[in-house]
Amino acid sequence: MQANVKQVAGILNPPAPHMVGDGFRVHNFFPGGYKIKMDPFFLLDYNAKIDFSPRNTPRGVGVHPHRGFETVTIAYQGAVSHHDSAGNSGTIFPGDIQWMTAASGILHKEYHEENFTKTGGPFQMVQLWVNLPAKFKMSKPKYQTLQKDKIARYDFDDKGSYADIIAGNFKGIKGSADTFSPIEMYNLHLKNNSKIEFPLPAGYHTALLVIEGSITVNHNKKAETNQLVYFENEGELIEIEASADAVILVLSGEPINEPIAAYGPFLMNKPEEIEQAINDYNNGKFGYLEE
Amino acid sequence: MLEHFQLYLKSRLQLTDEQAVEATSCLNTKTFKKGQVILSPGDLRSDNYFVNSGLLRSFTIDEKGKEHIIQFAPENWVISDRDSSIFNEPSQLFIDAIEQTEVLIVPKDFFSDIKNIVPQILELNILMLHNSIRFMQKRINMLLGATAEERYLDFIKLYPNLTLRVPQWMIASYLGVTPESLSRVRKDLAHKHFKKD
Repeated sequence: MQANVKQVAGILNPPAPHMVGDGFRVHNFFPGGYKIKMDPFFLLDYNAKIDFSPRNTPRGVGVHPHRGFETVTIAYQGAVSHHDSAGNSGTIFPGDIQWMTAASGILHKEYHEENFTKTGGPFQMVQLWVNLPAKFKMSKPKYQTLQKDKIARYDFDDKGSYADIIAGNFKGIKGSADTFSPIEMYNLHLKNNSKIEFPLPAGYHTALLVIEGSITVNHNKKAETNQLVYFENEGELIEIEASADAVILVLSGEPINEPIAAYGPFLMNKPEEIEQAINDYNNGKFGYLEE
Repeated sequence: MLEHFQLYLKSRLQLTDEQAVEATSCLNTKTFKKGQVILSPGDLRSDNYFVNSGLLRSFTIDEKGKEHIIQFAPENWVISDRDSSIFNEPSQLFIDAIEQTEVLIVPKDFFSDIKNIVPQILELNILMLHNSIRFMQKRINMLLGATAEERYLDFIKLYPNLTLRVPQWMIASYLGVTPESLSRVRKDLAHKHFKKD
């Protein structure tokens, strides 16, 4: 095996799921499920594919605050609508991504989209909490919607294997999202039997989530749907071979390496900043959003 | 987990580690699941609950089926129905768990039982009792005369993180206001304090 291969550190099964509101049945891979080092990614909630029955009132999560980080929601099946106190709103459909920079503070709510609520059907999503470096934690909130057909794309071949480059730089193509620290994030769509290889910087914390299909990583590490492949920091090259049509979320980021004080929906550096966040939220400094 | 209660006692009394351990050695812990009802009207129970982790509430339900929350008990709070726990009469209140909660069960006679180990415990008991009366006195005053905003501002001082842990309707129920008027209060505060840039 080549010396600069990024070795697989573990292949993790999804932890037991829990409900977030009544709209998201999530497996929390970290920080709750597994104590793996994924800085700058603080949290990974994975709603593995499940069927929601049709109904009239949307399921979801009511108004809640965030400060100090970004929420990144990636839709694979189903559709989610979002409203926030900065006046942003939008709906993401399969392949779309909502990248919300809560930074100094925002209130938001997330619900199943109206038509999806009425028809019901398969639902599959990822939500990440991406930490912000201290100097950006109190910057102005921001909202990026990345629509599937506008996300930068790299085609591996003419048989339909390609990468959606959400953030970073993949084989010379710049990712679509603006980030506050160096982050690589891709959705790989691989046809059965296709084999690809790509580098990620040594020193970055890296994992792959198998959304669909099954894959073999670095020649002999097999991973199935809903498993998280977690890598050593050392090494750069990752090889993936698909043994069925596969969709894989790649997460890799340069560690921010700053102290963390986390409480509920706030992610800061010091306990007194958490106290301040609670105080500011209670006193209306995050603005207002109707339920 | 007796450590929380030992720390609680040590923060209020001059206690050695050995005294704290000996004084609490007869106490038991219990865990309640989220949503579990711990006490119902009519129950006879001589227990007080000291919350190690999680969140309990006491409440009543009126004839129309509406809930009225009397008290929240997050970490380091004590909750009970005194009718039952002190006077040995049927409980008037419900107590349930809003989150998965671990409590220390403090029996009615705990303070008198340990007075030989920690003589100053009786003073603490009196102080806690007065504190509880003060809390109730303030609560009556708020419910009789304060505006919805004054009640809310007092609530966030007393229970700063509960706005993140309980739904809005429970806070409204505790404050004795409608959920709509609590929303209005929060909207007005946002108008006053939210700066766009």
